[in-house]
Amino acid sequence: MTRPEMEQKLLEIVRKEKSLPIESLGSETQLADAGIDSLDALTILFAIEEEFKISIPDDRARAMKTFGDLSNAVAEQVGIT
Amino acid sequence: MTRIAITGIGIISALGRGKAETLEALRNGRSGIRPITSIDATALNCRIAGEVPPGSIEGEARAQDRFTRLALLAASECAEQAGYASLELEPHRVGVLIGTGLGGCETLDASYRRVYKEGSPRVPPTSIASTMYNAAASAISTAHQARGVSYAVVSACASSAHAIGLAAQTIASGQADAMFAGGADAPLTVGVIRGWESMRVLSIDNEHPERACRPFSANREGLVLAEGAAVFLLEDFDHARRRGRPILGEIGGFGATSDAGHVTDPSAEGASRAMRIAMGKSDSAAIGYVNAHGTATRANDVTETRAIKDVFGVRAGQLAISSTKSMHGHAMGASGAIEIACSLLSLNEGFIPPTINLEQPDPACDLDYVPNAARPAEVGTFLSNSFGFGGLNAVVMVRTAVAADLLSTTD
Repeated sequence: MTRPEMEQKLLEIVRKEKSLPIESLGSETQLADAGIDSLDALTILFAIEEEFKISIPDDRARAMKTFGDLSNAVAEQVGIT
Repeated sequence: MTRIAITGIGIISALGRGKAETLEALRNGRSGIRPITSIDATALNCRIAGEVPPGSIEGEARAQDRFTRLALLAASECAEQAGYASLELEPHRVGVLIGTGLGGCETLDASYRRVYKEGSPRVPPTSIASTMYNAAASAISTAHQARGVSYAVVSACASSAHAIGLAAQTIASGQADAMFAGGADAPLTVGVIRGWESMRVLSIDNEHPERACRPFSANREGLVLAEGAAVFLLEDFDHARRRGRPILGEIGGFGATSDAGHVTDPSAEGASRAMRIAMGKSDSAAIGYVNAHGTATRANDVTETRAIKDVFGVRAGQLAISSTKSMHGHAMGASGAIEIACSLLSLNEGFIPPTINLEQPDPACDLDYVPNAARPAEVGTFLSNSFGFGGLNAVVMVRTAVAADLLSTTD
């Protein structure tokens, strides 16, 4: 899987969990600014872990503020550079 | 003494979604017991229940547990009738008391299945907030911006009757001007049904669900599990009159007692004491109807009959009593609220809801249970009985719209 493919998948998950017509999220976009609150973010992380069969450590999850942070954490876990 | 008006009613149960469908069923003695479709019940011995009609809650607040979704639907219908959106109420003076016996069963069941059956290392992060017993009360508080005293009330099958009584006391004590009060339960999960099967108190007539629940009948075989919710808006009576809302009824009294005895075997003494406390100084001759707890178990129906005879004496034989559980099943902690709603809706329309499936008289249950067909009647005041496992009893005395109005013109 390429990085753009992975990010596309992440976007699909975000869209599904939030039922929001999110067209795109830039790597600098703050999740909070996109209307994703802390519980939403946990729910999205949960869906991502399920989809990619990975486990994102608590400290990485807590430090996650932007879509870029999310993407980096997932990329690291699945071994995409 | 502060009078407590009922200005809104919302209900969803096996009988249908909303007051109109509910009334139609009660009037025609139509059973809502049906084959379970909300879960895969094929492996269960008991495959019938008082499930809400398929399709009636799909698509509603899907992030919430089923019991909260039921509660939100009932609260919305209630709020609409009460003119809540236009209520000139101070949000800080409105609270929410919702009784539930079992809380977020659906979420808990799904979480356990993931962890123990599927071996998953994780459960959804919403599972804690969805499972908690106050999830329904909190969701109603948020949806209707009620910022006063709110919490969940838990006393097994008496939960919502306790909640309604406590909500009335909350208004009477001056803590609130209005309260959402009622109950919600959605116990139809494999684990919960298995638990009830083990107690051997379920009526398991999978071939004839509509006649499975037979309260007070000699051939009764037990209760039928059910789900549902009912929510009332209780309001300070003068407050309701000032804003010109139709008064649908009045909470006239509340009695709560504990058996301090056996955990599952009910006591006539605890039940009759609760009825007496609920009636207070009112003459028992003023009571025209008793909505019985009437679970259709061997133990309850005989004990409750004894308790009613103890309270009403020679008048017990002339008293109309019925168990609407014969139609909507036993909705656990929601049953008190559902039954008060069924009673009040019916009596305000001039009829007493029947006990259906009363096929064979039981010598130990020898009162008038309004068998099999609704009965036209003018009733002003009724009792609603709820008795929970653990020996916790709650009885609510309610006046109909006509009786509440009559009392206002004479006071």
